[in-house]
Amino acid sequence: MTNHWSDMVHADVIMIMGSNAAENHPIATKWITRAKEKGAIVVSADPRYTRTSSFADVYCKFRSGTDIAFVGGMINYALQNDFVQKDYVLNYTNASFIISEKYGFDDGLFTGYNPASRSYDKSHWAYELDGKGMPVRDMTLQHPRCAFQLLKKHFQRYDVDTVCNITGAPRDVYLQVCRHYTSTWAPDRVGTWLYAMGATQHTHGTQNIRTYAILQLLLGNVGLAGGGVNALRGESNVQGSTDMALLFHILPGYLASPTAADQSLAAYLASNTPRTNDPKSANWWGNYPKYIVSLLKAWYGGHAARENDFAFSYIPKRSGDYSWISLFEAMYAGQIKGLMLFGQNPAVGGPNTNKEIKALEKLDWMVAVDLWETETASIWKRPGVKPADIKTEIFLLPSASSVEKEGSITNSARWAQWRYAAVHPVGNSRSDLWILDALCKAVKKEYAAGGVFPEPITRLAWDYGTGEEVDVRKEPDVHRVAKEINGYFTQEKTVGGRQYKKGEQVPGFALLQDDGSTCSGNWLYCNSYAGPEKKDNKMARRSKRDAMNGIGLYPDWAWCWPVNRRILYNRASVDPTGKPWNPKRWVIRWNAGKKQWEGDVPDGPWPPGEKHPFIMKPDGHAWLFAGNLNDGPLPEHYEPLESPLPNMMSRQQVNPAIKLWHKDAPEMNAVGTADRFPIVGTTYRVSEHWQAGAMTRNLPWLAELVPDVFVEMGVDLARQKGVQNGDRVTLETARGKMSGYALVTRRFEPFRHNGKIVHEVGVIWHFGYQGIVKGDSANVLTPHVGDANTMIPEYKAFLCNVYKAKGGAS
Amino acid sequence: MKALLIDVTRCVGCRGCQVACKEWNELPAEKTRFFASPKGYQNPRDLSSKTWRVVTYNEAQTNGRFEWVFGHLQCFHCIEPSCATACPVSALQKTKEGPVVYDPDRCLGCRYCQLACPFLVPRFEWDKAIPKITKCTMCADRVAAGEEPACAKVCPTDAIVFGEREDLIAEAENRIHRNPRGYVHHIYGKDEVGGTCVLHLSNVPFEVLGYRTDLPKISLREYTKTAMQVVPHVKIGLAVALGAVSWVIQRRIRNGRDEKNGSSSGGES
Amino acid sequence: MKISRRTFLGATGGSALGTAVSLFGPQKGRAHAAQTPPMKTVRTKQSTTICPYCGVGCGLIVSARDGKVVSIEGDPDHPINEGSLCSKGMALYQVAVNERRLRSVLYRAPGGSRWEEKTWEWAVPEIAKRIKRTRDATFRREEGGRTVNRTEGIACLGGAALDNEECYLYSKLARALGVAYLEHQARI
Repeated sequence: MTNHWSDMVHADVIMIMGSNAAENHPIATKWITRAKEKGAIVVSADPRYTRTSSFADVYCKFRSGTDIAFVGGMINYALQNDFVQKDYVLNYTNASFIISEKYGFDDGLFTGYNPASRSYDKSHWAYELDGKGMPVRDMTLQHPRCAFQLLKKHFQRYDVDTVCNITGAPRDVYLQVCRHYTSTWAPDRVGTWLYAMGATQHTHGTQNIRTYAILQLLLGNVGLAGGGVNALRGESNVQGSTDMALLFHILPGYLASPTAADQSLAAYLASNTPRTNDPKSANWWGNYPKYIVSLLKAWYGGHAARENDFAFSYIPKRSGDYSWISLFEAMYAGQIKGLMLFGQNPAVGGPNTNKEIKALEKLDWMVAVDLWETETASIWKRPGVKPADIKTEIFLLPSASSVEKEGSITNSARWAQWRYAAVHPVGNSRSDLWILDALCKAVKKEYAAGGVFPEPITRLAWDYGTGEEVDVRKEPDVHRVAKEINGYFTQEKTVGGRQYKKGEQVPGFALLQDDGSTCSGNWLYCNSYAGPEKKDNKMARRSKRDAMNGIGLYPDWAWCWPVNRRILYNRASVDPTGKPWNPKRWVIRWNAGKKQWEGDVPDGPWPPGEKHPFIMKPDGHAWLFAGNLNDGPLPEHYEPLESPLPNMMSRQQVNPAIKLWHKDAPEMNAVGTADRFPIVGTTYRVSEHWQAGAMTRNLPWLAELVPDVFVEMGVDLARQKGVQNGDRVTLETARGKMSGYALVTRRFEPFRHNGKIVHEVGVIWHFGYQGIVKGDSANVLTPHVGDANTMIPEYKAFLCNVYKAKGGAS
Repeated sequence: MKALLIDVTRCVGCRGCQVACKEWNELPAEKTRFFASPKGYQNPRDLSSKTWRVVTYNEAQTNGRFEWVFGHLQCFHCIEPSCATACPVSALQKTKEGPVVYDPDRCLGCRYCQLACPFLVPRFEWDKAIPKITKCTMCADRVAAGEEPACAKVCPTDAIVFGEREDLIAEAENRIHRNPRGYVHHIYGKDEVGGTCVLHLSNVPFEVLGYRTDLPKISLREYTKTAMQVVPHVKIGLAVALGAVSWVIQRRIRNGRDEKNGSSSGGES
Repeated sequence: MKISRRTFLGATGGSALGTAVSLFGPQKGRAHAAQTPPMKTVRTKQSTTICPYCGVGCGLIVSARDGKVVSIEGDPDHPINEGSLCSKGMALYQVAVNERRLRSVLYRAPGGSRWEEKTWEWAVPEIAKRIKRTRDATFRREEGGRTVNRTEGIACLGGAALDNEECYLYSKLARALGVAYLEHQARI
């Protein structure tokens, strides 16, 4: 989230699209309800009328997978009617930047496309540079190749009739949505955009989000209180786990994980440190060397020195894609022999679970760490298999729950909040911290006697106060870990005229060094634990004092990255002179007398106008036109991999830049067509269950509330299929079938596209063969295909059919 | 006198309240199955000795607009509770703070209260050897300690709020006044059966939520008392006693309905 | 309207520490003492926590007595949820007190049809041996003449339910082992 939960109260219009906040983030409704009390309009755009729609002022349906057309039409509506905050767009976005002559777009393809590799040569989309290497700009926004005009031309094609034909949204309701939302172009009005997995789990998920960002920038809604582009994250610490880089492509703090091309630290830095010739660009990522060297110092301590490239060679170098789907394809192919799982249950939660479970069976060994006996740990117990046929050796380690250990988690709003141990772990369960500490020490012991390239292990800095032997009574010192994440001086060092002692905590990431004199496990968290004592742990703060702008930032409640900035891009909340666009709910403002910013922690200390506001971009501007994406610099509508309709925008049926697993690895990757599977299917969650279900289907009170899988379908479809409310139905795709109870409801209406009726059904995916309540996993239905940029699987739109199954009504 | 105001227009159906009730009152889960009627989400099906509060899911078409509205089943905590009057051993009592509470140690399990209650709230522990009557106590222990009932405290949108009854009535009137098109112009529980300590506001007719709309505006207590007086003592055949109470109450309600010129039936399902 | 959400924790010291002892007993005005027992959270040790479910980050208060969780409720001081919770957060008590929780190390041999109870002292070194065996067998120092120092034979998954400090150590350990296939919930 650029903003935070209670900030939603400041919005004039709240757009909830790709999110069912009332069910998946119910406490959001506290703040949305308060905004409504103050007159805010709430819009819910969703294929199905949900609990979120129930409290929205406007509900607009649209077919799953047509988000880009839907929002593209809103962008066009804003541009055609001049509902654009011009000063903001001109000064703070790349609207005025001239794009290369090589850029072009025709019939769904951008220039630079290579059909053999299904990829683009992005140099076609670069900025035009002047002799000094500065982007050429046209401040009149009239140049035909400026980003603004290209954007306008691109989205002109998304007129209301075309959009409603693609999406199936009712024209009158859609126009209401456009009117309401674009009203926030006025500087004293603001709109917030809330989304979640409904937006990301598509083959064009990244571009879905891009449409939100483009519209928010045109309306001048980014950086303001009550504005922003807000991803509502679904797990309590999925923000923190991402920050800490439990992903193949990054290291902690969003540093790129090295590739095989990075044969030295210098080569790595050359390919990753952005450069700018614009003196007004802060280019924050120019600090790359400080962050990576500090990370290497945290990991290899005295073994990381300038002489050995700070142990850069110890870090694995990737060659290609190791993301989730690739991982399970490699496991299915027999390449992966051992698996460690900490609190994750792919046998329910992965896409195409029939294939992913088959892949799990091919492992030699699996170590599953969990509170519960999950489906993944008990694949050998699942219905229809003989345990003797499954050769995987399985260790199931009992872990402590969140109330039995101490540490921090980071919420969707980037707040790192500290938790305490209320009681001891149950039975012989141990914290994940203890388990990781014990495993690392045991592996170090193995490698002390030699092995293949043992140095990255034997030299790993690892001392969390438990000694060298594994001891069940000794809990690692979590504060020591938190202090390492923050970072400390590894030697005496003078920075900015102040002398820091060896061992002293680094007060903030601006002080991190690239010479090895500081360590920091994650530069983004530098400032979270800025002193030696427990009282210096800012993540544990509980003061309700508000900042002087009185907009509920609560700067002394817990701690927020980066450097406690509560609203990102807040330099865009003021005009170029430092005056808030909206003085009634200002975020920061320039105090000319004191020569300092007031309010939130600003995006850098520089006076107004001295630096461009979007400091994480090398050019300092927000990108309406984004030349770095794999599937094009502007969002374009393509149909999902499986769709009942041809793409009405171009002859490119699906995103041209996605990897087609059904062609590259056809086994168990069948793709269905509309003749056999004419119905659009989607998956989602309910308020009462959580993710793959282990944390809720094992709880009697929650099992009671939602005891069975159900399939929601419209009245017309049910009539056609002879299905009554409460009947058992079977859902089938090209990959698998599963059963559940039919919930026949007016909340799921068919869609009309150019006169053709398309039905959609939806099913909850929380269920599996373990727990108090059991049921089929909906992910046997979903395909192995991912977004072109993030590789997030397309769970949200596929083709299926539905039949009445055996068994009666309840 | 304390009361709860339940504004279903603010409810998002998350059911934090249903779990909060079980957590605070240490009520076990029921074994449930997908409940098709009316629309799938509701579970358990009804109040029981293990479930003192249930959120209902109702699809409705009102004023040309489709609505999904979430109703709330729980004890209404009548100002003059007929259950307490019906109880031969005073196990059920109205506290001056508002909650209608009961003492399980006193309960004989006669179930008079069940028949006396116009809202069908008290439930019997059918699965126990010495069954008792149970129901929502408005978290009387919390109220006595100056806390809110668990359901009110947990509610994210303040769809359930706790306070002085007269303040809540004023607040409810104010909400209707401020947003006359957003509400049915009626505070359910303000006058029903002489007034209750659980008040409801709705944007759809109360029958749609399954609430009884055939109740008289005066207390049923007098009639209950009369019924109890004609029953010599509990030792007389239980069926006779229950029958007598039930007859009086139902006649009273019928009369009330007649007074309203035969308006729609409604009733809890 | 303004409604009172009186705090469980003291306004200052207890809050700052995140732990406190509740001394709230029954208060005046109780009409039916015999029928109204004191609140079950009286004389419990209370500590704050953050909800382990979705990403909102709601605050809760855990009340424990004699090392056992007695009740878990929303934290009225928390600026996001102000004491309120959804059905999942409200059910957190049943994560803490639940007979279905794993209580010992379980091991299932290849082809085996049951779990065997094991000790940590046995399991940790056994797992370390398998990590080493697989890593050594699959480790690649070079690829096409370039140093890559990685294994594609071990995969690591999970982490979104772990604390930051745990995620950090997991990340650090996985990289030290040379694991290329490191993924978790954020991808899916």
